[in-house]
Amino acid sequence: MAGKGRGVAAFTFNIEALGIGRGSMPEARVGPSPLFPNTDFKPVPLRAGEDEDYMLALKQELRGTMQRLPHNIKIQSNKADVEKYTEKYLKQRQMEDDEWTPDWNLFPKELMPQKKKPRPKAGMKTKTKKTRKDTEDMLSKLDELAKKDDGNPEKSDDETEKKTGKNENEEEEIEEEEYDDEDIEEENDYIESYFDNGEDFAADSDDNMDGEATY
Amino acid sequence: MEEVKVKKETNLTDPAEIENRIKELCQQFPHGITDQVIQNDLPHLEPQQRAMAINKLLSLGQLDLLRNSSGLLYRMKDSQSTSKMKGSDNQEKLVYQIIEDAGNKGIWSRDIRFKSNLPLTEINKILKNLESKKLIKAVKSVAASKKKVYMLYNLQPDRSVTGGAWYSDQDFESEFVEVLNQQCFKFLQSKAEVARDSKQSPMVQRNSSFATSHEVWKYICELGISKVDLSMDDIETILNTLIYDGKVEMTIIAAKEGTVGSVDGQMKLYRGVNPVIQPTGLVKTPCGLCPVFDDCQDGGEISPSTCIYMSEWLDF
Amino acid sequence: MTAQEVRLCGLLLREHFGEVVEKVGTHLLRSGTQNLRTIIHETGVSLDLVKKSLCVLMQHGACVFSSGRKGPGSPTEYQVTCDRILRILRYPRYIYTAKTLYGDTGELIIEELLQRGHMTMSSTVKTVADRLTQNMEEGHSMDYNEVSAAFSKLVETHFLQRCPPMAVAQTTDKTTPGTPAAPGTPAEAVSTTTPTPESFPDCYKVPDVTLIGRGKRQLSGEDGEDQRNAKKAKLDSEVRTHGDEGIYWQVTFERFHLHFRDQAIINAVASRLDQTSSEIVRTMLRMSEVLTSPTATCTKPLSANEIFRALPTSYNIPRPILDQYLTLLVDDPMEFVGKAGESGGGMYVVNLHKALSNLARATLESVVQERFGSRSARIFRLLLRKRHLEQKQVEDFAMIPAKEAKDMLYTLLSQNLVQLQEIPKTPDYAPSRTFYLYTVNQLPTARMLLQNCYKTVANLIERRLFETKESKRLLEKSQRIEAILASLQASGAEPEQLKEVEEMITAPEKQQLDALRLHVNKLDSAENQVDETIFLLECYIDSTATTTR
Repeated sequence: MAGKGRGVAAFTFNIEALGIGRGSMPEARVGPSPLFPNTDFKPVPLRAGEDEDYMLALKQELRGTMQRLPHNIKIQSNKADVEKYTEKYLKQRQMEDDEWTPDWNLFPKELMPQKKKPRPKAGMKTKTKKTRKDTEDMLSKLDELAKKDDGNPEKSDDETEKKTGKNENEEEEIEEEEYDDEDIEEENDYIESYFDNGEDFAADSDDNMDGEATY
Repeated sequence: MEEVKVKKETNLTDPAEIENRIKELCQQFPHGITDQVIQNDLPHLEPQQRAMAINKLLSLGQLDLLRNSSGLLYRMKDSQSTSKMKGSDNQEKLVYQIIEDAGNKGIWSRDIRFKSNLPLTEINKILKNLESKKLIKAVKSVAASKKKVYMLYNLQPDRSVTGGAWYSDQDFESEFVEVLNQQCFKFLQSKAEVARDSKQSPMVQRNSSFATSHEVWKYICELGISKVDLSMDDIETILNTLIYDGKVEMTIIAAKEGTVGSVDGQMKLYRGVNPVIQPTGLVKTPCGLCPVFDDCQDGGEISPSTCIYMSEWLDF
Repeated sequence: MTAQEVRLCGLLLREHFGEVVEKVGTHLLRSGTQNLRTIIHETGVSLDLVKKSLCVLMQHGACVFSSGRKGPGSPTEYQVTCDRILRILRYPRYIYTAKTLYGDTGELIIEELLQRGHMTMSSTVKTVADRLTQNMEEGHSMDYNEVSAAFSKLVETHFLQRCPPMAVAQTTDKTTPGTPAAPGTPAEAVSTTTPTPESFPDCYKVPDVTLIGRGKRQLSGEDGEDQRNAKKAKLDSEVRTHGDEGIYWQVTFERFHLHFRDQAIINAVASRLDQTSSEIVRTMLRMSEVLTSPTATCTKPLSANEIFRALPTSYNIPRPILDQYLTLLVDDPMEFVGKAGESGGGMYVVNLHKALSNLARATLESVVQERFGSRSARIFRLLLRKRHLEQKQVEDFAMIPAKEAKDMLYTLLSQNLVQLQEIPKTPDYAPSRTFYLYTVNQLPTARMLLQNCYKTVANLIERRLFETKESKRLLEKSQRIEAILASLQASGAEPEQLKEVEEMITAPEKQQLDALRLHVNKLDSAENQVDETIFLLECYIDSTATTTR
C-alpha cells in the first residue's frame, strides 16, 4: 500500500509535497491556541420581516400548545410548591383537553393500557376551581415565595429532583413485574370506558368494539 | 595580405567582433577615442553598423560618451572593473559569457553549471565576484519562489521573470489585482444598470449590458489607476477572476475581421450578473462560521451554552 | 442515522412530546426495529410509558409497526423514522404556507393536524370552526360548511391525504375484528413494509360527511365550574356520528416540499433575472404541477403558445416579448429553463433537478464566502468550474499570491470543503513525481453541510434551553405575576392594586426578561432560517438519488 503510512495525521498524502511545511500548518503555530479563536467574519444578519415574524410566532405558539397537549407525556412527580402554583394558574388559562383516546383500530392492541391508573392530571381537575377570596391568598403566598427565592433555592431544587427520581424508579420496577405478554389480550377487557376530553378529538364511535383506553 | 583579408571579413560579419574591436581600441587609448579612430581601424565597416555597435556598447554601459574640444569621445566605462574583468581568468570570462547569452530572461545557477561544466562551488564564487563588480545581478524570478536568475547588471528583466503588470519587485501586487477586480466589476455593473433602466425589450436590455474586453480595457486605462501599461490580456485575466467570483459571465461571439477588440475573428463579451440566492440560512448563525464547530459538544469546554460566539451574536 | 440526526430528533421530541417520548424515540432511532419487550428492557422506561410513547409517535406518523417479520406469531415490532421527526422543525413553514395559499382557515386546518398528528375531517372542521369563531366579533360564527370547503380544497390539491390503512400490518392478529371504517385490505396480506398513502386509491377522496352547524365560542367565564359544564354540554351534543369515523387525515409533507421547491426556483429566477422571468417560470411550474411526477428531472414540455395562453393577463406580456424572455431564460448559464423542441412556437421545460443542483451549489458557495471570505470563495468556485487544478493553476487563475492561496487551500482542505487527489506519474508514489490536484465534490460536500445544519439547529435549541434555564426563577415569577394580574383583572380589582402587583417585577428584572425574550426570538428565528438551508440541501440530495435511477 504505497499511499499509506506517509504524511501527516488525517491526510493520506504527503502534505509537505504540497509545499505546506509543518511550520505553516495552523495547528503547528506556536503558543497555546485560545479556546475560541478570533474570527475574521461575523454571521450574516437574520432575514427580518412580516413573514419571519409570523413564522416565529407560529413556532413559539406551536411549542407551547404541544407541550400542553396530552401527546406530551409528563412523568408523574411530586412537584415543589412553586411549580404547583405556577402550573395551577397556567392550567387555568389553557383550554386544551386533558386526555387523549387513540383509535385502537390503528394501533397494535398490545399498546392499550392494562388497567386504569391514577391519571397524571386527575388531581388537577379539582384545583381549577377558584374563588375571588384566593386572590389575597395568592399575593401573600407570592411574597413568601419571593423570600424563599432569595434564600437557598439550590437546595429545594435538588430535593425535588431527588424525590422525582426515586418515585420514577419505584414505579418502573413495579410495572415491569406486571408486564407479561400473554396477559395483554385478557387485560383489555378490564379497560374502562374513559372519556373526558373537552374536544371531540379522536371521538369514539359506537362500532369501536374494543372500547376506549385513554392517555 | 592574406591576414588583412581575413580580418576584414570577420569584422564585417560578426557584430560581436566589431564590438570587441572597439573595446580593444578603447583599452589601447584609455583617455578615449573619437569616431575617426574607429573609422580608421575598421575602414570597411558601414557607418550604420558602426553606429549600432557603439549604441549597443553604450546601452550595455560599457562605453561612456564624452565631449572634449575635438568633439565626441568614446571611453571605456568603469575601466577599473572592466580591466579587472580583463584580468580575470578564463573561467570567469566563460561564466560571464553564458550569462550574457541568456539575455534579459536570465539564467539559473544550475544551468550555468551545465553549460560551463564547472563545479558549483567555483561558479558560486565567480558569481559573487561578478556581482560585487556590478557586472551581473541576481533577480528573483516569479516563476518559482526563491529561484534566482542571473543577468547582466544593466538589463531590464523580462516579463516572464518579473511576472508582468502584477508584480512589483517580484512581489505579487495582490491589492492592485483586487482594485482592478472591483473597478472592472463596477464598470460592468453600471453598464447593466443603464441597460436595465433603458426600459427596452428584454433582449435589447441583455445585449446592451455586455461589454467587450476592449471596452473594459479602455475604461481601466482611462481611469489611470495603473502605473504600468496593462494589455487587453491583463484585463481579461482580471475579468476571469470576476467570473470565479460568480459576479460576471462571459460569452464569445464571432466578430468581423478588424472589429475593435476582436482577436482571431472572435470577441469576448462580459456582463455583470446577479446572485441566485441570498446568503443561506446556515451562515446567519455563529455555528455556520464557527472555527471550532467540530470540537463543540454538549457539556464540553466548547459547547452551545459556553459559546462566546453565540453570546456575542445574541447581544449584538 | 448519524449522531447529529439522533441528537436533533431527541431535542425535537423532548420539546414537543416530553422527555419520555424523547427517550423511547431516540432509543429506537439508534437501535432500529424492536419489539415492545425489548424496548422496555433496553430503555428502562416503564411499560405504561413506553406504550404511551409509542402511541404518541405513531399518532404523529413518526413510528410504524409491523408484525410477523420474524415468522408468524412473532411480536409486533416498532420502527421510528428520523425524517418525520426532523420535519417538526418545518411545521411553522407548512402552516404559514397554508395561510398564504388558503387563508386563515387553511392555516388552522394545517396547524391542528400537525399538532394532533392525524384527525378525522369532521373533528378537524369542528375544531377549526370553533377557533375561528373565537376570533370573530361577538354574535358572529364560522359555518362548518366553509371550513369543510377549505378542507376539501386542501385534499384536492393534495396538501392533505388520508392516513394509510394501518389495519394491514395487524392482519396476523386473528383476534382483531375487521375494522369497518378502514377500507378493505386483503386479510392475508402480511406487510413488513408500510403501505404508502399513494398506493391507497382513496388517498385523496373526501368522504361524505354530515356536518351541519357553526363554530362555537368557548365560554371564557371566570368560573372554572362554568367551563366544565359548558364542556360537558358540548360533549353531549357531539357524541353524534358524522359518517367519517375511522378515516384519518394527515398533512402531505411531500406536497408542501414540491411547493417549496418550486418557490425556491421562482425566487432564484427573480433574483438572477427579473420579476417577469420569474412569473413566466411560475406559470410554467403551475401548468405542469399535475402532469409532472414529483421525482421528474424536468417538467413536461410546454409550448410557447400554451405558456402564453396560461399567463395571467395582468402581466401584460405581448407574445414576441414572451419569446424573448424564454430565449433569455434558456441562454442563462443557470439553465433553469431548457428548450425541448421547436413545435408550438418552441417547447420549453423547467429543469427541476438542474435548478436544484445549481441552488445547492450556490448554497455551498455562500457558506464558503461568508465563512472564509470572498477570495477563498473564488478558489472554491474556480475548483467547482475547472474540476481539477494544481496549486500553481489555482494561484494563476484566481490571481492570489502563492502563500495566501496555499493557506486558503489548506484551510478548505482541513474543513473537507475541498479534496486533494494524488496522481502519481510513477508507480512508486514519489512525491516529486506526483500531481497533486485540488477538487470540489459537490454531492459529498452538500451531505456534510447538511449534517452541519442538523448540528447547528441542535446547538441553537440547546442554547435556548440554557438561556431559559438561566432565567428560570425569574420566568416563573413573571408567569405567576401575570396569572395573578389576569385573575385580579377578572375580579375587577382596583387599578392601584394591579399596579402594585405589576411593580413586583423590578426594573432590572424587567430588563433581564426583555433580553431573554430577544435571545429566544433570535434563536428561534435562526432555527427557522437554517431549516431553509436544510430543505434545499435535502431536496438536492434526494434529486441526485432519483436522477441516477
